[in-house]
Amino acid sequence: MKKGILLIKRSLIVCMSIAGLMLSTFVRAQTQKVEGTIASQKTAAAMAGASVTVKGTNRSVISDEAGHFSIDAAPGDVLVITSIGYVVQELKVSSSRVLDIRLEETYSTLEDVVVIGYGVQKKKLVTGANLQVKGDDIQKQSTTNALQALQGQAPGVQITTTSGQPGSGLNVIIRGKGTIGNSGPLYVVDGVNTGDISYLNPSDIESIDVLKDAASAAIYGSQAANGVILITTRTGRAGQRPQVTYDGYYGIQNPPKKAQLLDAKEYAIIMNEAAVNSGKSPYFSNNDIDNLPVNTNWLDEMFVSNAPTQNHVIGVRGGGGSSVYSTSVGYTGQAGIVGGSSLSNYQRYSFRINSEHNLYHNIIKLGEHLAFTYEKTNGIGVGGIYNNTLRGAFGTSPFVPTYDSAGHFFDNSNSTWNNGEANPYAVMYYNNQNRNNNQRVFGDVYLVVEPIKGLRFRTSLGLNNNWNEGRSFSPIYRLSIYSFNDNTRASQSMGRGRSIQFDNLLSYSFDLNDDHNFEVMAGSSSINSKGAGIYGSNRDLVFADLQHAWLSNATNTDGTNIDLSGSPYEDALASYFGRLQYNFRETYLFNATMRTDGSSKFASGHRWGYFPSVSAGWVATKETFLQNVQWLDFFKLRASWGRVGNQNVAGYQYLTPISFSGTNYTFGNQEGILTPGAFPSRLGNPDVTWETSEQTNIGFDATIRKKLTISFDYYIKNTKDWLLVAPVLATAGADAPVINGGDVRNTGVELGLSYRSNIGKFNYAVSVNGAYNKNRIGNIPTLDNIIHGNTNSLYNNSLEFYRAENGFPVGYFWGLKTDGLFQTEQDVAGFTKNGVKVQPNAAPGDVRYVDLNADGTINDEDRTLIGNPNPDFTFGFSLSADYQGFDFSLLASGVAGNQLVQSWRNNSDPKATYSASILDRWHGPGSSNRIPRVTEDNRNWTQFSDLYIHDGDFLRISNVTLGYDFSKLAKNKYLSKLRVYAAVLNLYTFTKYDGMDPEIGYGEGFSSGVDLGYYPRPRTLMVGANFRF
Amino acid sequence: MKNIKTYILVVLVLVAGACKKSFLDTEDVTTATEQNFYKTPEDAFKALVGCYDGMQRVWTDGIALPVAAEVMADNTFGGTGNSDGFGYQMMDEFDKTRSPSDQNMFNANWILYFKAIYRCNMLLSKLDQVVWTDQGALRTTYESETRFIRGSLYFDMVRLWGNIPLLTAPTSENVPQADPDAVYKQIAEDLKFAADNLPSTKYTSQAPVTYGRVTKWAAEALLGRVFLYYTGYYGKADLSATVTKAQALGYVEDVINNGGFGLVEKFANLWPAASVNDYVGEDNKETVFAIKYTYTSDYNGNADGNHWLVMFGIREQSVPPYGNGWGGGTVNAKLWNAYTATDSRRGASVISIADEGIDFKMKNNQREYTGYYSKKYTPTADADGNSVAVNNGGVNFQIGQFQDYVSIRYADVLLMAAELGSSSAQTYFDNVRKRAYGTNFSALPVTQDNIMKERRLEFALEGIRYWDLLRQGVNTAASTIAETTTLQNGGVNTAVTIAAAKIIEAKGLQQIPYTQITLSNGVLKQNAGW
Repeated sequence: MKKGILLIKRSLIVCMSIAGLMLSTFVRAQTQKVEGTIASQKTAAAMAGASVTVKGTNRSVISDEAGHFSIDAAPGDVLVITSIGYVVQELKVSSSRVLDIRLEETYSTLEDVVVIGYGVQKKKLVTGANLQVKGDDIQKQSTTNALQALQGQAPGVQITTTSGQPGSGLNVIIRGKGTIGNSGPLYVVDGVNTGDISYLNPSDIESIDVLKDAASAAIYGSQAANGVILITTRTGRAGQRPQVTYDGYYGIQNPPKKAQLLDAKEYAIIMNEAAVNSGKSPYFSNNDIDNLPVNTNWLDEMFVSNAPTQNHVIGVRGGGGSSVYSTSVGYTGQAGIVGGSSLSNYQRYSFRINSEHNLYHNIIKLGEHLAFTYEKTNGIGVGGIYNNTLRGAFGTSPFVPTYDSAGHFFDNSNSTWNNGEANPYAVMYYNNQNRNNNQRVFGDVYLVVEPIKGLRFRTSLGLNNNWNEGRSFSPIYRLSIYSFNDNTRASQSMGRGRSIQFDNLLSYSFDLNDDHNFEVMAGSSSINSKGAGIYGSNRDLVFADLQHAWLSNATNTDGTNIDLSGSPYEDALASYFGRLQYNFRETYLFNATMRTDGSSKFASGHRWGYFPSVSAGWVATKETFLQNVQWLDFFKLRASWGRVGNQNVAGYQYLTPISFSGTNYTFGNQEGILTPGAFPSRLGNPDVTWETSEQTNIGFDATIRKKLTISFDYYIKNTKDWLLVAPVLATAGADAPVINGGDVRNTGVELGLSYRSNIGKFNYAVSVNGAYNKNRIGNIPTLDNIIHGNTNSLYNNSLEFYRAENGFPVGYFWGLKTDGLFQTEQDVAGFTKNGVKVQPNAAPGDVRYVDLNADGTINDEDRTLIGNPNPDFTFGFSLSADYQGFDFSLLASGVAGNQLVQSWRNNSDPKATYSASILDRWHGPGSSNRIPRVTEDNRNWTQFSDLYIHDGDFLRISNVTLGYDFSKLAKNKYLSKLRVYAAVLNLYTFTKYDGMDPEIGYGEGFSSGVDLGYYPRPRTLMVGANFRF
Repeated sequence: MKNIKTYILVVLVLVAGACKKSFLDTEDVTTATEQNFYKTPEDAFKALVGCYDGMQRVWTDGIALPVAAEVMADNTFGGTGNSDGFGYQMMDEFDKTRSPSDQNMFNANWILYFKAIYRCNMLLSKLDQVVWTDQGALRTTYESETRFIRGSLYFDMVRLWGNIPLLTAPTSENVPQADPDAVYKQIAEDLKFAADNLPSTKYTSQAPVTYGRVTKWAAEALLGRVFLYYTGYYGKADLSATVTKAQALGYVEDVINNGGFGLVEKFANLWPAASVNDYVGEDNKETVFAIKYTYTSDYNGNADGNHWLVMFGIREQSVPPYGNGWGGGTVNAKLWNAYTATDSRRGASVISIADEGIDFKMKNNQREYTGYYSKKYTPTADADGNSVAVNNGGVNFQIGQFQDYVSIRYADVLLMAAELGSSSAQTYFDNVRKRAYGTNFSALPVTQDNIMKERRLEFALEGIRYWDLLRQGVNTAASTIAETTTLQNGGVNTAVTIAAAKIIEAKGLQQIPYTQITLSNGVLKQNAGW
């Protein structure tokens, strides 16, 4: 019944809106032709592409190349002249028919229009916390992925690469981790939702808007708990002659810094010392050590030099008559610095067409955005300890040769030193024979009807369709007693998915007495996603290479060696939303939104969630008492509150599934014969429903002396009713269900400053931004208030090292504190509790742990927070300058206050090599108080302690570019830009971290910053060009 | 106006279409649910296989009970790699200070046991909703098999941990530990139900494709074992007022008289590594019950293999026919020395590095090296040193092992019957010994003491010795196991002390996983000594 009423209410809103639309009438007064020219006040140059509109109507024209325009208007009408980057001018039509209009350049971006959910708004009227980054600023970074270019440009948005491998994903965390589940934001590209924008070529982006506070994001309701990132792609402009653009670069990439590992001699010395410390005689005589036959530097083997990266985009855009258009084709290619392009590579082919057609007098417009992308990737393992290819190089001794005398990869099976270690380069080569591709069609078709100025109906049908395909091949090889493969195997996978989004919006903006400005909007959205995947794997191939690794070439018929699966998925989301925007003389601003979402992921009765928000602003500089304050051009105070949701879990959690997979028993006296069974694998939770996040935001924007702009925000974000799998008691007997529970609070401040000025023709700008965030878990809904982290993550059989626990940050590092090393036997004997030795088995050179609870033993109760993977501060700064055609820019970004875990070595292996930091080990009283002595049982490393913890602070000079625009010399009227530039990406990183890259985007489970042999981001030297003609 | 109305209507339908009920009702077409399963006898059979799978999985992670039982007993030391944690030593010595942080040694097993119990409880609770029509006998059979599995799982758990929650129906409640008597009562009832209701099909008449299914004989034999353990360890006369000594004897005698089992002629032929080409194979006439494994385990969710066999293997070195393993449970020289040279079981049960002239190179990586490894349960390798499991298609030597765990051998039934006072005790006892000594056989009187000595030799390294010791009383067990000796850790002589007091303090039980105690918010209590 309740639902019925709701339905009626919803229908009523829609009905009334539509009726309003239909009943409105078309009014036209007696008009005449009004003509004029538009020019820049500063340069007096004619301005093409400026828009002239008769206020209150939808009559609009665009100025031509000579800045000339002509429009129908009645005397007394007001013309509104707008052009991006210029102050809006309003002119009353009088008898003087030819108008000479001079537009003043804006000193700030306040007049700019920013993209908000389901619409746009003048930046000066925004009451939430959102920020916009222009496409040009993104393109300038010359990154493969647009998100990476946001790094350091968006305060409060922490972006880390999950690995330096080309095509790797990025972790985007807006205002701190709000969940131990998926904490990625929602992406909306030209109004269509998606979870990933790697398919976009950065050159196609007009702007990226980040909605950080809940009030801004609440219009996206249940998908917005982790923030929303809106992407607008480039379009043509009316009255623009066709413009052809070329943007491209070519660069070479190298590792910025290689980790230092032991060479053969150092390794032999350390192994000798470990043997002696373990009560044995040394393995190597001095003569042996001086005559070691092999000394392989595995990191040198793994990395390649000068791996290429390139990007080329050709675009054409313009507008005339009744249509505007923008189209582009692009190619991106990036090879990996580990293994080179045959093992680690990314390629993207993209094609885009955006256009809009004026069907009827600016009243009806039809448009579409359509992008096709084809991505080809292949890569090495960048995951956990059993799936991290580079890690092999960190533990393998320098004694193993790369090749044997015949030029084949060296088989170490008969080694007398350690036949369990395998040539990591060969392991990489053999185990990463794969090719994957992904094709995507993404876009929408929309229709806008604007019968009278201000009343607008927009309907759109969005499509996100993708197909993926992958193959891999395992050859026969033998590299050590553990690293071998006796059968060839091919695996093939294919998947497809499509998501259809149907949106309808009705908005009406009007004012009362020119003072009270209103905009109301109501809308509905429905998304249905469907897809299916299929996977197969079989062995014994007819031809043993990757090219022939297709299932049809596999000859094996034994079912136990064939792996097959295939299944579909479907989910649906239905939404209704509305918004009221009000301002009084652009001084007092008010905004309220409401959204309700229904999700198929939850059981009937728990499906609908409600997500309201309110926000208000006060532009103080509009008040009379501030009119005379010359230095303060603009000051706006903002406050907002909103609630958003998250439904990012697998569907059907409300049911108890019966699992048939992997459930077999082998009856009978023949091996390999399986009888399939079934069992209830997971507990159901019929009550599972929305995760919600509430956020309060207070901030201000200010402009001082037309040069300095300041933006400040303070927020409190509470995320509660997490959708999480909380551990259940073993006696429950099945896997834990997803429940709603737990909460975390993120509080923080964000500050952005930018200063723009000039000295004659030398223009320069400096901007600095920083954000502080504090992350604290309020309550974990288990009896012990802990969610335990994974084990077996740092090295073979390692124990738990991170947790989510009440009162601590998400994923904090949980381990023993150390208190230096025992220097002497007396130190060991002196560390007692009630006369009993706390570490009875310790010897000089071993780690002294802190007995936190003073109970005389070192155990789990002594473990505590020894590191926090979440940074306290994220920051960035940029410098840019131009002078007579030259341009220069520098961008830097960094984090502070976080810790990393470094675990490069398999500490269950006595013979694994070490990094060079072991040379500072304890080897006699006073020799070290930090790095313990070496032993064969690795006793000082088998407990997770702060020995593993490193500070993660860094400041990276991520981009330095110097360019020159030759068009100033060419003086060809069709050549508006002929810029060439040189750039260095990842020029230098200031950090105390001794790894190859301090930006460790890899994490285990819900932790982060875990360096298991991290694939570093390359340093790139490039040259590029931007042509416009 | 009419046109407008139509237009409004069309748009309304389009827009409202988004919220009509079916739009949000999606279906997972590849997953059955508790709501639509357990309907037919076929469903019930699948669920029964799920219970077998659950039983087989309890040792796929953590520490397998057969391994733990040998380490806790005086047959083996902890062993394992020289850089590994000291968890196995802690387990061996019942001394938590050996590895204070190892507070979750058996957590994976605790979870897997209760998962298997849950599958059984779920099936038992759903049997009444299955539409059996004219297949009512199947219902009894499935119930019997399920209850046997549940009973044997609880028997493992209550022996290892002593104090466990007892669940006979699925529940998510925080259940406290039960009185062990209540657990044994449940075990006895479950096994009795199976013994009384399963058909009396002789082993010789059983269809080979059904080997591995629970039989009446398995239930009867296990009842004998439970009776002996419970009455011994807890010092009681009967098994929880459910089974008397006479009844227990009746059950095992029934296996002997009607089960159709027999002893395999040569002891060595029972074990793949000890006999190679002469191996009699699995499900032979001496196998009363086995947990069956095969080589199809992978890392994608299939767990059909013997994941614990690798623990007993020679540390990191293949010595055909023995495959490489992790060197856990290094065999105590005392065991080797307990056999006479004429006992065929010595060479069939234990690998002696020295006696077999093996050039063992991995002493540096082996902890608690004794010079002896298990031969009954050990990975095997072909002549080139390649893993037989991998040759057969196993993913790797760790999880691909396929040797079944024979949990009840007919020899055990004979010796139990002798111990329970069968009138044929001497014959049963002699039969077991005759096979062992062959032509060197000379009779011994069938006394309790001689039976226990014989059981040590007969069942060495099969995961039985420890419970045989404990059922003689914790004090007897502790004093037998206690030892001070010197072993080689990574090639270096190291003193090893197993103190009787520690075993007595712990009552011979292992620790309740710390994580489970915290998860239960202290409702679960830790065992004494831990």
